[in-house]
Amino acid sequence: MKRRGRGIACMWYPIGFTVAANPSAATVKVNEDGTATLLTGTVETGQGALTVLGQIAAEALGIAADDVHVVSGDTDVTPMDTGAIASRTTYVTGNAVRLAAEMARAILFEVAAPMLGVRPEQLEARDRKIQVQSFPQRHLPISDVALQAQAVKGQPAIGSATWNPPTVPMDPETGQGKPFNTYVYATQIAEVDVDDETGEVDVLRIVAAHDCGTPINPMLVEGQVEGGISMGLGFALQEEILFDAEGRQINPNLTNYIMPTSLDMPEIEVDLVENYDPTGPFGAKGVGEPTSVPTAAAILNAIHDAVGVRISSLPATAEKILAAIRSKRKAIAV
Amino acid sequence: MNRKTIVDEKPRVAGPAFTSARRLQVHSETLPAVFPVGLLVPEVRQQTPAVGQRATRLDARLHGLGQTPYIDDMVFPGMLHARIKRAGVASARIRSIDTREAEAMPGVMAVITGRDIPVNSFGPSLQDQPVLADERVFHAGDGVAAVAAVSEQIAAQALEKIRVDYERLPAVFDPLEALKDDAPKVHPPAGNVYARKVICKGNVEQGFADSDHLFERQYRTQMVEHVPIETHAAIALWDANGRVTVYSSLGRITLGRTDLARTLRMPVNRIRLVGSVVGGNFGGKNEITQEPVLALLAKKAGRPVKGVYTRTEEFTASTTRHPFIMDYKTGVDRNGRILARKVRLVLDGGAYCSWSETTLGKAAILSSGPYSIEHFHVEALVVYTNKTMTGAMRGFGAPQVCFAYESQMDEIAHALGIDPLEIRLRNAFENGSSSPTGQVLHSVVVRESLLKAARRMGWTEGGQ
Repeated sequence: MKRRGRGIACMWYPIGFTVAANPSAATVKVNEDGTATLLTGTVETGQGALTVLGQIAAEALGIAADDVHVVSGDTDVTPMDTGAIASRTTYVTGNAVRLAAEMARAILFEVAAPMLGVRPEQLEARDRKIQVQSFPQRHLPISDVALQAQAVKGQPAIGSATWNPPTVPMDPETGQGKPFNTYVYATQIAEVDVDDETGEVDVLRIVAAHDCGTPINPMLVEGQVEGGISMGLGFALQEEILFDAEGRQINPNLTNYIMPTSLDMPEIEVDLVENYDPTGPFGAKGVGEPTSVPTAAAILNAIHDAVGVRISSLPATAEKILAAIRSKRKAIAV
Repeated sequence: MNRKTIVDEKPRVAGPAFTSARRLQVHSETLPAVFPVGLLVPEVRQQTPAVGQRATRLDARLHGLGQTPYIDDMVFPGMLHARIKRAGVASARIRSIDTREAEAMPGVMAVITGRDIPVNSFGPSLQDQPVLADERVFHAGDGVAAVAAVSEQIAAQALEKIRVDYERLPAVFDPLEALKDDAPKVHPPAGNVYARKVICKGNVEQGFADSDHLFERQYRTQMVEHVPIETHAAIALWDANGRVTVYSSLGRITLGRTDLARTLRMPVNRIRLVGSVVGGNFGGKNEITQEPVLALLAKKAGRPVKGVYTRTEEFTASTTRHPFIMDYKTGVDRNGRILARKVRLVLDGGAYCSWSETTLGKAAILSSGPYSIEHFHVEALVVYTNKTMTGAMRGFGAPQVCFAYESQMDEIAHALGIDPLEIRLRNAFENGSSSPTGQVLHSVVVRESLLKAARRMGWTEGGQ
């Protein structure tokens, strides 16, 4: 008979490297028509990082995502980057991009200030315009300012910057210190059906409430959460590399190493928890890794809620669950 | 941008986005581009402010059209294909490697072994991993020789012709066995424990003494693979100035270039590393694998060389997730408030360090859970075994410890008759809380995330 259960799990997760320096550099070049090119040494690994970095550069320049072309991942062309690791791209590379874009913007403000008859610090960049703060009717198209900067003033708007999260080394004896500059938080709740005659688990629904600071691109955050949950599901129930007595893997293939497929995926509902981290670019932190952190724990707690057995070693295969149900029944019978 | 205008301008394109070659010919004067770019520009990418927009990805259209060039789609004139011979034994001394028969095969253009690698070691913290095993094999997935041939099939056949004479050595596969004094040493003379981390705060024994209830359990997790759709792939080619370009699925090209410079003993500025679009990484592509091998094969053969891992190699010869053995002891008061927690983590590090130190550190720090605990102690060890190396994988030890601390949280709630949501709310970090390392936390939203998820699920007190 199928038994339904729900399980909850929350987590915290740091952004960036543990104490070790993990800098990023970025260059933002504003073209003569007010569009821009971003150079970054990070690599797109499928998570949408380049899109997010483009949006960060665009935000600082007051232009749109489509106005920024992103060049990435070529050591001959792009500045150094610690890379797509440790959920650090939006936060660390994003801060470098923001700073580089702000440097380029400062040149635009310097050029625009005499054109608008104000001081540079009175200006802002919004909606593809350089405008006077609180007096948006006094503005110039960013394209006019960029052209003026490059072709008339001989001062093209280019900015380069680096950023590295500040940390404090951990004491070797006690571990006390500040290993990371910031953390994210999340909760996932799983709803499962467990067949108490076969031990089979069907994950029906997962709700996920994740903090990533400001979501630079909510759609990409949701994509990360869904992908992370699929990894967490495999970790919870199915995936395991097995070895023979000689230390050789016996299932190094997708026939015998069982991964979740689209048919195994539950309904997923993603909520983004409102937050703003003043140390991140426009309040953003990160979300890549944490999305798969609480999934297995939530599913295992749901299994316990459904059939009253606590599986303490992953993966919680049907065989393990069934054995636990049987031994529990035996204990009750005695 | 006015999208409607563009649609109206091209009435003859109506229908499928792709037209047949014949239709293209008929309308050649009005259809200069194969792709109706103007039609597909999503408006959201045009909007300001840019932050907060659900902007479609820069690469989405190319993926959708099947136009994204992955490494395996890239071809250079004269390009060869490489394969690596895997040891298949977990612990052995290499007495000799005979490659003569393989080299004599028609179509085989270059063969190398570990002895051809200028500096045959790498690793992000400990340089304990050979690019190709030369004197000793540490796990069954170790590469021992590599072949570049005009086709992948010939390269694979050539591997069969390479004879390796092994002297079997004692091996250890269980991390708890590996901790024992008399266990075979994976990297002699060094001991098997290669990193250790301790964090302590308050007085955990006093905290247990003050507790109303104690909970103890051991939790274990397994070894898993990242399983990206695209396996590790790279192409190496040299120019006449002696500069090497490597296209690679690596996620960290700056570090990759450093490792290439070290292993090839070349100045950094003579190496160009281009990170391709990657078909999944999840932490598995954070350090070099076959790149130096391909560079040396390409140099020897004088032709570009491509290498793409088989699915089996992706499992056996790339990093995996650390299996954890986690002993948790937690003391709580009668209201379910955690007073003290003591944790011991033993990580199965496999044959090489790779990103183990990072995994160990993060796991230790995070092992408290997102909870304020006055008395906390964690000791974490990572130990060598003669198994596939474990390294960076999405979460760096966090999914493992989360499984333990959240399982125990539910056990405590169940025993004390407290709702699982409520017990978490009672213990959760808040702004200004002190972490296990004594860090004052900011922008903390554990409670908010708990309540938001509970509301969405329709979680009701006691009824779950």
